[in-house]
Formats: sequence, structure tokens, C-alpha cells
Amino acid sequence: MQDLGRPTAPQPDSSSPAAEASVRNAQTQAGTPAPARERRKPRISETPPAAPPAPRLADYESIIGKSQLDELRFVASPLRGKRVKMVNSTAMGGGVAEMLNRLVPLLDELEIKTGWEVITGGNDFFEVTKAFHNALHGGEFTLTQQARDVFMLHTEQNRKRMSFDEDLVVIHDPQPAGLISSKAGKSSHWVWRCHIDLSHPNRDVWSFLHPMVEQYDAAVFSSPAFARSLAIPQALFYPCIDPLSEKNKDLDEKYIQEVCDNFGVDRSRPIVTQISRFDRLKDPLGVIKAYKMAKKYVDFQLVLAGGGASDDPEGAVVLKEAQEAAGDDPDVIILELPPWSALEINALQRASTIIVQKSLKEGFGLTVTEALWKAKPTIASAVGGIPTQVIDKHTGLLVHSVEGCAYQIRYLLTHPEFGAQLGRNGREHVKENFLMTTNARRWVMLFRILSSSNA
Amino acid sequence: MQTAITPTTAFSTVQAKAPFEFKSAAHLLFIERERASSIDELLRALQSCPEESIFQHTFRTLEEHHFIKEGFSNDFAHWAYTELGEVGLGERLASLDVREFTSLAALRERLVQVVEEFASEHPKSRERTAPMPFYFCSSKTIVLQTQRHAANLLEFIDGLRQVSLHSIHYHFIEARLRRKLESNDFSIWLLRDLGLERESVLLNHIDIYTSTLEGVRRKIIQILQNAVH
Repeated sequence: MQDLGRPTAPQPDSSSPAAEASVRNAQTQAGTPAPARERRKPRISETPPAAPPAPRLADYESIIGKSQLDELRFVASPLRGKRVKMVNSTAMGGGVAEMLNRLVPLLDELEIKTGWEVITGGNDFFEVTKAFHNALHGGEFTLTQQARDVFMLHTEQNRKRMSFDEDLVVIHDPQPAGLISSKAGKSSHWVWRCHIDLSHPNRDVWSFLHPMVEQYDAAVFSSPAFARSLAIPQALFYPCIDPLSEKNKDLDEKYIQEVCDNFGVDRSRPIVTQISRFDRLKDPLGVIKAYKMAKKYVDFQLVLAGGGASDDPEGAVVLKEAQEAAGDDPDVIILELPPWSALEINALQRASTIIVQKSLKEGFGLTVTEALWKAKPTIASAVGGIPTQVIDKHTGLLVHSVEGCAYQIRYLLTHPEFGAQLGRNGREHVKENFLMTTNARRWVMLFRILSSSNA
Repeated sequence: MQTAITPTTAFSTVQAKAPFEFKSAAHLLFIERERASSIDELLRALQSCPEESIFQHTFRTLEEHHFIKEGFSNDFAHWAYTELGEVGLGERLASLDVREFTSLAALRERLVQVVEEFASEHPKSRERTAPMPFYFCSSKTIVLQTQRHAANLLEFIDGLRQVSLHSIHYHFIEARLRRKLESNDFSIWLLRDLGLERESVLLNHIDIYTSTLEGVRRKIIQILQNAVH
């Protein structure tokens, strides 16, 4: 077993010219001011591009292999002809809709007839559900009778509008949770898929929702830490990424170079990147501090790229603070990107030498999953779902402070072989546990287990 | 043109008494009630958790982390090491080899014994709490028919190359719980249906803790190819 005090990495292979060049580059240029480069305005469309068509099952064969794809078909085969309904609160925007856009066609292709419906409601309803959402994350909230009435009124209207004749019904998140009253007298199986962290919910809101949740046949959570004590079975589905999405698909080298040229990123020198909204909880200022500490020893550029500054007043403040902290250092490249920059983000991640996620608080941390999938050596804070993905010194490096982050940047930039090993393991970890196809398999497994409980 | 039959190819195409049927297993994780933040809580949870939890955090975690070839053996050891900061307990738990157990009850008993001994030798360690609790999960399994069969050694080697790593884990590692034998499906078939005693034994000597599961697959194939040649 390894000593845990310090990475017991294989030393850089001096016989490898690439490794040698990388180490030399990182070490000899430390502290030398880089020549100023031209900063161009990134060429990104001002409106979202049309979504590409959803991939087919066969498209995943080159990624997960024929045997795994065959197994998915075998697991699904007893469910042929079963009907499933997915219900959530939004058709566009947000991780749940993004995931359903990919999952529903895959289940359909497995001959599980899957429909997807979205609940409707007025502003009053969505104001209440937004407040519930924040309260379930632990925020302050006073649950009034009026809020209860608004929630129940719109639930009832949706219930009357929708039919539930399917064999399996999956309700996503708290907004449509009350639809469970339509289960009465039916033999169908109902699942509540909770995508949010319920570890410290507002007591009143949880007391209101809890009796509804207990009527489901099963609940699904993204982490054991997010779950509540419930009388029903609770399955664990890790969030996932789609390896064929614009954010994660393979890219031409030429395109990656073009994006870096547009953004003024010099690919002949090491690049350390954090992709995140400009949000205090993502600690961009901490990343800049770590950059300044590490830069005394190794030469590299820091890229901070993300959105959140244009639609969030606090995001704009955080962005400004990050720009001030970076000062006129040409090696700190701060990019505010619109939400439809998936391809550009993909290119930046692929161009990076190391990817950092120094969050102070995190959900599951899908940007970490994306980094691991691209086989990038990843340094990330041990918060939220990150330790599930970053197994310290196996699939990446976990840190607990700015100083730890700075040290690990120095270490990985001077030990590229160790970084490459972390990257290889990280990609395998994602392939085994956090891909869309694994997610489809989990749903199929749960449907089979619930269906067999009828027998 | 007809290929000349050499003694080795003839041997490798000898029909087995019964074909080997490659299967695989799909698992689904469930969150259990038990959780532990200290050695005492770990001990209590180990005693009360369902057997499916013992399976998940020992046998099954090896499959989930099949790409790691050093320093990862089971979830209990990893947690004791990284969260509880008890390196000694981590080492003792990590030294357990799941292949020495043909029942989950026996494995649970051994885990409890290791934790109890450590706790009595290190009473101060019992006061330590982990920042991140150990959450007990369990695994529900569905066995899958892959529709791949092998009637002779060559077909068997070809099958080993084609099947998923889940299938390798199912036959090579999980099998002993099913069979209640300190062996695996491959070795049993090689001995019983092809009479390959040496290869049967050699397969059981492969160290699963110092190889990735892909590496284990390669070693199995290498041993069988050596038999062909």
C-alpha cells in the first residue's frame, strides 16, 4: 500500500523526450515574465446553436465496447414493451432536462416505450417550488399555508391534465412530487428521482414533502450523503456525462488549436484550467492565489473559464474580483463564456495540462467528471461528490487548501508521468461508473427489480 | 485450402465434456441505513448490515475500481486510511483477500474480528471521528446470459477476449461465493471438462490485488495460450 503523506509517483521517465521537454519547460521558465500576447475577442455565436441529434445506442460501441453494449441490451430485454413515463419541471435548461434528452431515446431504443412530460404552473407555483428547492438545500424559509395551497393547487391541475397508465412512472425532483396521489389503485411502480442534496433540508418543507415521498416504491439519490432516512428503498445513481455530447466528444486537434488561438492561450507552455461559474463557492480567487504560489517554481498559464456573470449580480462581482486579483498578469486568462460554449469548453479542457476544481462546496461536480473523462490529471477539493470521483492518488489528487492546491500543481507539472497515470485511471473510472450508458443500465436494473417485486 | 492439423491445434480444439457458458452480472447500488463515523460505529454497522453490503464494499468494489492495481483493496480499508486517518487499521483491513472467503458470513466475521482487535489494542483511536462518514450501501445483482459458449480451449480463449470485464469478475472472483469453493468457474471448467489440471491451478495463483482486471484477463489468456503452444 502507498504512503499517504506524499504522492508516491513514478519519477518522470527521462528516456521519454516528451516528458523531458515538459519538465524542462515547466522548470526553466519559472518566474520569467512571458511576452504579452494578443487577446482577441472570442468568436462565439451570440445565440445558442441548434442542438445536434441525440446519439443512437450503436454510437456508444466504440466507447464502451460491444460486450458492454450487448449486456445493456440483455438486461433490458425482459422489459420490452413496458411503458415508462418521466416527469420533470422543465423541458430545456438545467442538468435534469439535459440528461432526459439523452436517456429517453436510449430507453426507447431498448424497446422500453418511454415518454417524457413536463408539469405546468403559473409564476406563483414556480416561485414556491424555487423557494422549496433552496429550502431543501438548507436555506431559510417560512412555509406558509398559502405556499402549501399554491403547491397543492398546481399539483392537482397537473394531475388532472396528465394520465398515468404506464407501467413505471419516474418523477424528478420536488416540484412534481405530489403527482404520487395518482398512483392510488394502480399496479404501476413509481420512483422519485431526487437530484438535489437533502442532507440538511429545511424541516418544515421536508415535513410537508416527506409523506408524499414515502408513497413511492423507491427513491433515487445521487450520493448516500444526499439521502434521508426513508422507509422505501433508496437506490444510488451517480450523475453522469454523455461522452458523445458537445462538451465531451472527441475533437479535432485543429479545432482545439483554433479555440486556444482565439482565447490567447499558448499551447507551447503548460496550461492549468478551472471551468466553473464565477461563483464564490467555486473559489476562483483561491485558484488565483494557488497560481501565484506555484508560479514561483514552475511556469504555466492559468485559465479560468465559465459563465454566470451576465445573469447573476453576484457572479459579476466575483468575476470583477477575479480580474482584479489577476491584475495585468498575461498568464492569467479569464474567460466569461455564454451557456452554449460546450465545444469551446471541451477544447479548453483538452488543451489543458492539468484541470483544477477548487470548490468550497459542490454538488456532484460534473466538471470533474468531464476532466477525468478527457484523461486529464485533476486536482480537486475534497467536497461534495468529488471524493467519489477523485480517489486520491489513484484517479486524481484531492486538496483541502490553497496551499495544497499550489503544491499539487507544482508536483504534477514536474511529474508528468504520474499525471498521465492519474489521467488514465480517471478516464477508466468515468467509463465504468459515470457515463450515460451506465445511467441507462441503472434505470433498466431498477425497473427490472421493481417489476419483479410484482411477482 | 484446408489447414493442416498440428498436434497443438488438435489439442486446443478437443471438445470439452460440456461447453462453458459465459455469463455476466449487472449490479445496482442501494443506500442502506447504516453509517459510521468512528471505529465503534463501524464495528456495530459491520455486525448489523445486510450481507449485500459486505459484498458491495469488498467483492464488488474491486470490480468498480478494476483499473487500479495498487493500494486499493476494499472500501472499509480505504475509509479507515483516508477518512479516519487510522493507517494501521487500514493496512489490516486491506490485507484481507476476498478469495480466501467462500461465504459472506465468514468474511463479515473476519472484518469484525480485525476491527475489534484494532479497537482493543488502540483504545484512544476509538475517540477519533472521520469528517466524512462511511455510508453503507448494498448491491442487488442480476445474472445475464451472454449467449457466448465455448466448446473447446480455442473458443474459450476467444470468449475470454470478447466478454466484458463484468463477466471476468463474475466467473473469476464472485464465483467462489456461489460455488462455496476456493476456486473459480474457469479453473473448475478447465479441470472438469478439459482435464487441464495445471492450468486450473495456475489460474488460482493470479494475484488480483496487484493487477487491473484487464491485466487479470491478459494473464488468464497467457496461461491458456502457453498450454496451446
